Amino acid sequence: MIGYFTDLDRNFELMNQLRRRLDRVFEGVDEPGWWSTDQFPRTNIYDTGKAFLVRAEVPGLTDKEVTLTLTQDVLTISGERKVELPEGYSVHRRERLPMQFSRSFALPAKADAEKVNATIKDGVLTVTVEKAAEVQPKQISVRNA
Amino acid sequence: MADQHKNVVRREQTHAEDVNERPAVAPRVDVLENENEILLFADLPGVSAQDLRIDLEKERLTIEARRSGSPEQGTELLAEYRPADYRRTFLVPRSIERDKIDAELKAGVLKLRLPRADALKPRSIPIRAS
Repeated sequence: MIGYFTDLDRNFELMNQLRRRLDRVFEGVDEPGWWSTDQFPRTNIYDTGKAFLVRAEVPGLTDKEVTLTLTQDVLTISGERKVELPEGYSVHRRERLPMQFSRSFALPAKADAEKVNATIKDGVLTVTVEKAAEVQPKQISVRNA
Repeated sequence: MADQHKNVVRREQTHAEDVNERPAVAPRVDVLENENEILLFADLPGVSAQDLRIDLEKERLTIEARRSGSPEQGTELLAEYRPADYRRTFLVPRSIERDKIDAELKAGVLKLRLPRADALKPRSIPIRAS
């Protein structure tokens, strides 16, 4: 059963990748809906050499509503996004939806679970995950022979 | 179709000030209304209060926000959003009371109250039986 779903997931992932690429063709079109992904939160990940830098857009969320877990090289961001919707109003536009979310990112190298730093500011979550000692870049000196 | 295409490509050159034009995306919004006010919520992650500008010119309400910060260092492994600026314009009724507009920015979410002028609030007219 698990194997079956994994295969299925892989196919979906391929389709998602294709979709993401196609979405980016129209980057810069300044209309709502032209985002590169529908998933929440939208996330950017950078490799800075010594560490991975993860930035996720979590508007409206505070530190209490976000949970981060790191297992070896998989970082999971989960939580709940609540949307304020007062009573007694008629709704003209509804683009911000409440949801429970969980996203996992496989980092391309082993991370040091002791050296993770996470902050949240103005609705952007920033996580710095240092790479494990054995995958840290090493500088090799070149000697004149 | 071909003409439309041309317009998209040439659009940037039609502005006189396109030197300072930074890429901008439209924030997601919720717009609600009752008889007293229009209430607008906008997702503006990465924006602090001093980088946000709200303009009401006649019936055009523009929300503009600049995202400060330098481009990220390192190799990009995943890029689902660009740290672009935000810009979105709405048409609102002229009956908004300008002096009483209230804007609050919290955790990257803008809450904007646009109260209606008292004189223009909908009134129910009593009917007398004679």
